[in-house]
Amino acid sequence: MFLTLLIFLPTVFAILLGFVPRERWVRPVSLAFATGHFLFSLLLFKHFDPAKASLQLVEKTPWVPTFGINYFVGIDGISFWLVMLTCFLTPIVFLASWTSIANRVKSFHVCIFLLTTAMLGTFLSIDAILFYVFFEASLIPMYLMIGMWGGSRRLYATMKFFIYTFFGSLFMLVALITLIFMTQEQFGQLSANLLDFYKLNIPFVANQFFSTQTLLFICFSLAFAIKVPMFPFHTWLPDAHVEAPTPGSVMLAAVMLKMGTYGFMRFVIPLFPAASEYFAPVFLVLGVIGIIYGALVAMVQTDIKKLVAYSSVSHMGYVMIGLFSFSLYGVTGGLYQMLNHGISTGALFLLVGMIYERTHSREIKQYGGLASAAPLYTIAFLIVTFSSIAVPGTNGFIGEFLILLGTFTTSKWAACLSVSGVILGAVYMLWMVKRVFFGPNGPLVEHDHSKHGLDINIREMVVLAPFIILIFWMGLFPNDFLDWSKASIDHFLEHRTNYELSIDR
Amino acid sequence: MQLSLGWIDFLLIGPALSLFAFSIVPLAVKVLRGNVEQNSFATLCYGYMGIISAAGFLIATAGLKQTAFENALVFDGISSIAGIIVLLMTTITLTYARDNYSTNTRQFSEFVFLTLNCAVGMLTFIWSNDLIITFVGLELMSLCLYVLIAMSSEDKFSKEAAFKYFVLGSFASAIMLYGISFIYGSAGSTFLPDLKNVGASLISTNRLFLMGFVMLVVGTCFKISIFPFHAWAPDVYQGSPTPVTGFMATGVKAATLAFFLRIMASQTLLAERAWPIVDVLQWLAALTILVGNVGAVRQTSLKRMLAYSSVAHSGYLMIGLIAAGVGGENLVGASGVMFYIFAYALMTMGAFGVLSLLETHEDHDVTFDDIRGLASDRPIVALAMTVLLLSLGGVPPTIGFFGKFFLFSAAVKQGFWWLALWGVIGSVISVYYYLRPVVAMYMQESVADQPMMDRPMSQFVVVLMAVLVVGFGIFSEPFFQMFIQSVAPVF
Repeated sequence: MFLTLLIFLPTVFAILLGFVPRERWVRPVSLAFATGHFLFSLLLFKHFDPAKASLQLVEKTPWVPTFGINYFVGIDGISFWLVMLTCFLTPIVFLASWTSIANRVKSFHVCIFLLTTAMLGTFLSIDAILFYVFFEASLIPMYLMIGMWGGSRRLYATMKFFIYTFFGSLFMLVALITLIFMTQEQFGQLSANLLDFYKLNIPFVANQFFSTQTLLFICFSLAFAIKVPMFPFHTWLPDAHVEAPTPGSVMLAAVMLKMGTYGFMRFVIPLFPAASEYFAPVFLVLGVIGIIYGALVAMVQTDIKKLVAYSSVSHMGYVMIGLFSFSLYGVTGGLYQMLNHGISTGALFLLVGMIYERTHSREIKQYGGLASAAPLYTIAFLIVTFSSIAVPGTNGFIGEFLILLGTFTTSKWAACLSVSGVILGAVYMLWMVKRVFFGPNGPLVEHDHSKHGLDINIREMVVLAPFIILIFWMGLFPNDFLDWSKASIDHFLEHRTNYELSIDR
Repeated sequence: MQLSLGWIDFLLIGPALSLFAFSIVPLAVKVLRGNVEQNSFATLCYGYMGIISAAGFLIATAGLKQTAFENALVFDGISSIAGIIVLLMTTITLTYARDNYSTNTRQFSEFVFLTLNCAVGMLTFIWSNDLIITFVGLELMSLCLYVLIAMSSEDKFSKEAAFKYFVLGSFASAIMLYGISFIYGSAGSTFLPDLKNVGASLISTNRLFLMGFVMLVVGTCFKISIFPFHAWAPDVYQGSPTPVTGFMATGVKAATLAFFLRIMASQTLLAERAWPIVDVLQWLAALTILVGNVGAVRQTSLKRMLAYSSVAHSGYLMIGLIAAGVGGENLVGASGVMFYIFAYALMTMGAFGVLSLLETHEDHDVTFDDIRGLASDRPIVALAMTVLLLSLGGVPPTIGFFGKFFLFSAAVKQGFWWLALWGVIGSVISVYYYLRPVVAMYMQESVADQPMMDRPMSQFVVVLMAVLVVGFGIFSEPFFQMFIQSVAPVF
C-alpha cells in the first residue's frame, strides 16, 4: 500500500483542495499537504533496503487482464532517488510560488499535485502500459501550467512542448504493443509487465535497419530522447522553460527531464542490449554535440532563464554519455548527475524567478552590480553556480567527474571532447555572473522600484536553504546517496546483456 | 415459401416497435390539439418513454433467439452492443434538442417523431441479416436524417446541408443497391450467412460478384465518410442543427459499422482475389486519417473541426475493420471496432453537447473566438470539454486512449504495422487541433461576456459524458471482456 499511497496522495490532496472555501487558505493548506507528503516519503528510507538489487515494496493487481496489463508498482535503487527528488520539490515549489502566482491560485496548486502524482507514477510503474499512462498524463498539468501562467509566448511554447513530447511517446506505444504480443508468442500469455519484457528474446541483426530490436529500440529512444532532450530534439526545451512560470520550470527541469533518462535506464538499455551497444556511438556523439552545442548557445543568450535552459541541454548531454558508456563510473555518475541537475538547475530557476519577481526583467544587460544591492541573493546564486559548473566540493563535481571517468575507460574521444563542456560551462555561467552581479550598476539595480529591496526575504531563504545544504552534502559525502543505488547499478551493469529483475517479497 | 412467425419474433423487434409506437404519440397529441405545439418537456418525455421501453425490450429479449423472421434479422452480440449505443445516443440527442435553439422550435414534436424513427431505421440496419433488409433500414435512417437536417426554419446552411446529404446519400444508396443486385445475380441470394459460405469462392471466380461486393463496400464507406467519400461530411455536419450533427456522427456511424463488421465477418476478403480490395482499404484508411486530421487543423468553426475529426476517426476505425476482415486472429480487430465506436460515441456526443450549449441563437456557428475564457465563466463545462477533447486525442487515462490502444493492437497483431504507425502520426496531428479549444478556453481572455443559458439537463449529460470517458477509461477491463465475448460468436 505504501507506494500506492505515495503516488495517489497528491491526487487526493488535489481533490480536497477543491473544497477549500477561501482562496487565501489554498497556499498554506497545499504547503501543509505537500510537506506532509514529503515527510511521508521519508519513510522510504526505513522501508527500502539498499542492499538488495531487486524490486521492493511491490504491489500488483490486475488492471486490464485482456492485454496482460497490471497495476504493478515497485521501487529499486534506480528509481529511489528520483522519487525522493520529486517528493522533495513539491513543497519547495509551493513555498517558492507564494507570491509569484497571483491568479487562479487553486487551479495552480491542483495542477502541481496532479503533476506530482503523474511523475511519481512514472518512476514507480513496473508495468509498461501503466508507465505509459503516467508518462503521458504528466503532460497535461504541465501543458496547462505553461499555458495558463506562462510568459508572453506561452501559447506557442506550450503547444510545441505538448506535441513534441506526445509525438515521441506515441511511437513508444506502438513498440509497447509489439512487445506485449511478443510475450504472447514467447511465453504463451499476454503480459505488459516489464519483468516479462526483460526475459524476451528480441532478435537483433547488426547493420540491418529492419530488424525487430533495432526498430523497437528506435521507437523507444525517440520517445525518451525527446523528453531528455537530446540534441537535435531539444528545440522544445528553451521555449517551454522560458515561457513557463518559475514553479513550472523547476518541475520541468528537475523532474520531467529525468523521465527521459530514467526511461533509457529502465527500458532502452536493459530491453535492447544489443541495439544499445550497437548504437552507443550515435548516442555518445549526440551527447557530446549536446554538451558543446548547449554550452555554446548558452553563452550567447541575453536572457538569464534562456541561458539556464540551454545549460540544461548541456548537462543532460553528460547524463546521456554517462549512461551509454556502460561503465560503472559512467552509469553511477549519470544517475548522480540526474539528481545534481535536478538540484542545481531547479535552484537556478528559482533564483531567476525570485529576481524576476522584483524587477520583471531577465535581461542580463539590465543588471550589473547586483552583489552590493542583494548580498544574500548573490551568495546563494554563487553557490548554485558553483554546483552547476562542477566546482569540487559541490555535487556537480562528483557527477561530472564520475561520468568523465567512466566514459574515458570506454571511449576516450567522447571523454576528451566533453571535458571541453566543463570549461565552456564555467565560461558561460561565470561570465553571466560577472555581468549580472559585478561591475557598474545596471539600470535595474540603479533605479530599484521594488518595495522591499532586491535581496531575498526569509521565505526565500527557507526555500533556498535545502538546496544549498544538499549541494554541499551531495558534494562532500556522495556515498550517503550513492549507497542507496549501488546494488541496483551493480546489478544493472553486471546483467546488462541479460537483464532481469526479481521481486523482493 | 412458407413463412412461420412466432410471437418471439415480435418480442425481438419490440425495441423498434415501441420506438415507433411512442414516436406517434407526440404527433397525435399535436394534431388533436389543433396543430399547436405542446409543452416541449412532455414531448421529450414521450420520446424518453419510447426509448426506455425499447431498452427494456432489448434487455429482456437478450439471448432469447439468434435470428428472427426466417433469419432475416439477427440478434447477436454486435446487434445488442450497437443497439444499446444507438438508444443511448438517441436519448442524448433528444435531451440536447430540447435545449437547443434550432431544434426546440414549433416543430419539436416532429423532431422527436423523426429522431425515434431514425433510431428504428438504425436498429433495423443493425439487425439486418439480409441485404434487402439492410437497404430498408439504411433508407429509413437516411430519409429521417434528411428531414431532420433541413428542419431548422431559419438556417440557410441547414437547407444546403440537407440537400447535399440527400443528393450524395441517394447516390451512395443507389450504388449500394446496384451492388446488392449484382450480388443477388451472381450468388443467387442476398442472405449474409449464404455469402459467408460462397463469398470467398465467388469473388475469385465471378467478376460480377466482385463488382457487387466493391459497390456494397463503397456505399457503406459513404455513410461513415471514408475518403474519398467524405467530402459531404464537413458541410453537412456544419449545416445541421448541432444535436442532429451529434446523432449523425455517432448513431449513424455505430449502425453502419455494425453492418460493416458483418460484411467483414463474411470472410469474403480472405480470397486471394480480394487482396487488392484489402490493399485499397488500407490506403483508404491511411488517406482518411490524413485528410481528416489535416483538414481539421485549419478550421475556425468548432463544428467543422469536429466534422473533420470524425472523418479521421472513421479512418482509425477502418484500421480495425481491416484487421477484422483478413481472417487469422481477427477477434481483436472486430471487438476493437465495437469498443472504439462505443468510446467515440461517448466523447463525440459530449463534445457536440458542449457546442449545443454554447449556441446562443439559431444560426450560431461556434468559433474559437466564442469559447475564449470559458474556463473562468463556466469552469465545469470547460473542464468537461477539455476531458472530452483529450479523450478524442487519445491521451491516457481516458477511454479514447484505450480505444486507440485496442485498435492499434489489432493492427499490430495482424501485421499492419504501417497502419498502426500512421494512426499514431494522425493522433499527433489531431492533438494539435484538439488542444486549440483548450488553449482558447483556459489561456485566452474572454472578449465579450457569453450570455450562456442554464441548461441543466444538457449540462448534466455533458458532465456525465466527461466522467464516463475517464471512468470507463480507467475501468475498461469489463468492457474489453464484454465486447470480446459478444463479438466472438460472429467471427
